[in-house]
Amino acid sequence: MSMRTPLCLLLALCFAQWAVAQTEFERGRYLAAAGDCVACHTAANGRPFTGGRPFVTPFGTLYSTNITPDEKTGIGQYTLEQFTASMHRGKGLHGNLYPAMPYTSYRLVSDEDIAALFHYFMNLPAVENSPPANRLMFPANLRFGLSFWNWLYLDDEPLAQPEGKSAEWQRGNYLVNALGHCGECHTPRNFAFAMKGAPSMGSDEYLAGNVLEGWDAVDIRPHALRRQGWDRAHLQELFTTGSSERGTLFGEMYRVVDHSLRHLSGDDRNAIITYLLDESEPLPAVPNNTGAASERFPQGRGDFVAYCAGCHGRGGGGITLAFAPAMASNSSLRADSAHNAVAVILRGLPAQRRDRIQARAGMPSFHRELDDERVAGLVNFMRTAWGGARQEVTAADVAEIRRALDDEGYLTGNDQ
Amino acid sequence: MGKISVTMVVNGDKVGPMEVSEYTSMLDFLHEYLNLTGTKLGCGIGVCRACEVVVERDDGSLEVVRSCINNVGRFIDKKVTTVEGHARRNADGEIEQLAPIQQAFLEHFSFQCGWCTPGFVNAAMVLIDRLKREPVAAEDLEATISEALQHHICRCTGYVRYFRAVKDVIESTPGLVKSEG
Repeated sequence: MSMRTPLCLLLALCFAQWAVAQTEFERGRYLAAAGDCVACHTAANGRPFTGGRPFVTPFGTLYSTNITPDEKTGIGQYTLEQFTASMHRGKGLHGNLYPAMPYTSYRLVSDEDIAALFHYFMNLPAVENSPPANRLMFPANLRFGLSFWNWLYLDDEPLAQPEGKSAEWQRGNYLVNALGHCGECHTPRNFAFAMKGAPSMGSDEYLAGNVLEGWDAVDIRPHALRRQGWDRAHLQELFTTGSSERGTLFGEMYRVVDHSLRHLSGDDRNAIITYLLDESEPLPAVPNNTGAASERFPQGRGDFVAYCAGCHGRGGGGITLAFAPAMASNSSLRADSAHNAVAVILRGLPAQRRDRIQARAGMPSFHRELDDERVAGLVNFMRTAWGGARQEVTAADVAEIRRALDDEGYLTGNDQ
Repeated sequence: MGKISVTMVVNGDKVGPMEVSEYTSMLDFLHEYLNLTGTKLGCGIGVCRACEVVVERDDGSLEVVRSCINNVGRFIDKKVTTVEGHARRNADGEIEQLAPIQQAFLEHFSFQCGWCTPGFVNAAMVLIDRLKREPVAAEDLEATISEALQHHICRCTGYVRYFRAVKDVIESTPGLVKSEG
C-alpha cells in the first residue's frame, strides 16, 4: 500500500468533517444559539425548546411555547412561510404572538437564516408538551389587540447599514440587533412595553439600559461601555466565561453567555464587540482613590472592611474571579447608574454551577442588616475609591431601590 | 493597619472593649483573642459552613453567619453564640447537659471527625429557633431541614445521620411542627 492511501483517507475525513459543519441543520443550530432561543423556550429543568417558562409582566403571566416539531403542541404544522411570519411579524398560527417573543428584533433576521432555523427546529425530536395557559388581564388577553400594538410599535425599517463601517462592524450590527436581540433587555420600554427607539430610528435611548427583574440591564452604548472600563479583551473574556476583571455576569445575562455567546465563533464574538465599542476611544484606567474615599465615607470604609473585604480583598482586589471579583475597576462601580451596586448588596447572588468543574460562589444578602444610610455609604466608598464616581448615592436612592426590589419579591435572601 | 475597638456578647459574656486589627476575621478573633477554638476553619472562603456562628438579630430571632469571611467589625455590639455556648454549664463552667441537638448528633453517630459539627449544631439551633416562631407543616419538614442545612459540607458524609438527628429533635420538641387539623 502506498503512503498515499491513508493520506487521502485523512483528507477525505477532514473534508467530511468540514462538510458536516456546513449542513443546514448545523447552521440552524448555530443560529439558534446566536438567537438564544433555548433560554426562553425552556422551562426550569425542562426539556430544551419545549416551552413553559413563565414571564411575569404587569399585564399578567405569559408562558413560552413548545417549538419542537410536534404536530399537536409544537410547531409541526408550520410551513416556512408561516414560520417566517411568526419570526418577522409576530403572526402565529393561533393568532398574534405577544411581543415577549422578540419579533421586534427578529424581523431583521435574513430569510436565509430563517430558513436554516426552520430546518433545524423541524428536524429536532418532536416532543408533546403543552405549556400552561397564559394568565393575562383584560384587554391584554385579547390577541387581536396586538395588531394595534404592532401597528403602533412594530418598526418596518430595514436594519440600518451605515456606509464607512467595516464588514466586521456590519456583521456585529446584524448579530446584536437581529438574532442577538440585545436591545430587548438593554433598551428602556414605554408604558406599553415597547422599546423606546430602535436601531433604524437612531434613537438615543436604544441600548441605553433598563431595569429588568430587579437588575439593571446596563447601558451598552459605546461611550457607556468605555466608561465602565470595557475593552475588546475584557469583553471577549466576559462573553466566553461570564467573568472578567471588569466584573462578572449574573441573572439573565449569565445565562445569555451560557446558552448563547460562548457558543459563537471567535469571529462572531469579535464582530459583536466591534459593533458595541464602535469607534469610541479607550478611557484611561480609573485611578485608585481609596485614601480620599476613606476620608469622605469613613462608615462606608468601615463596613467594607467588616462585611466585604473577607472575600473582595483588602484593597478591593478580590480573591479569584470564580469566587469573588475585584471591586477595583469593577464595571458596576464605574457605571453611571449605581442600581446594580446597590441591588447586589441588598439581594445577594445565588451560587452558579455551570458544570462539574466550573462554579461560582454566591454572595450573601445584606438587606436585613444594613440600612439605607449604610448601604449608601458603602456604595459611595466603593464608587469613589474604585469607580471614579461623579455622583453620590443618597439614602433616599437606596430606599427607592429597596422598595422596588421588595415589591417584586427579590428581597428574600437570607444567607449570611 | 487600622485598629478598631470591639465590644460584643459571646455565649452570654460581655467581651471587650479590646483593640484589634480591623482585618481580623471573626474566626481568628474567637480563636486568638477569646480562646474559643470550637469554631472550625474549613475552606476559608465561605463555602463549607464549618465556621458558622449564631448571631441574634435586632428582633431577637437568630441567624447563622460565616465567621471566616466576615471580619470582626461586623459583630460589634452583637450577641454571638458559638458551639461552646449551647450546653448547660454549672458555676465552674463544666458541662451539665448538652443541648438536645448536640445530644442527638451523638446518639445518631452523626459525625466521625467532627470538623463540620459546630456548623451543623449552629445551623440546627437557628432552624429550631425559626420553627419556634414559624412552625412548619409536617409534610414540609424534610424540605425545610434540607433547605436549612444543604450548604453544609461533611467530608465524612454523615449527611443522613445529621438529617435524622435534626428531624428527631424537631419532631420530639412540642410546637415546632404544626399540629394537624
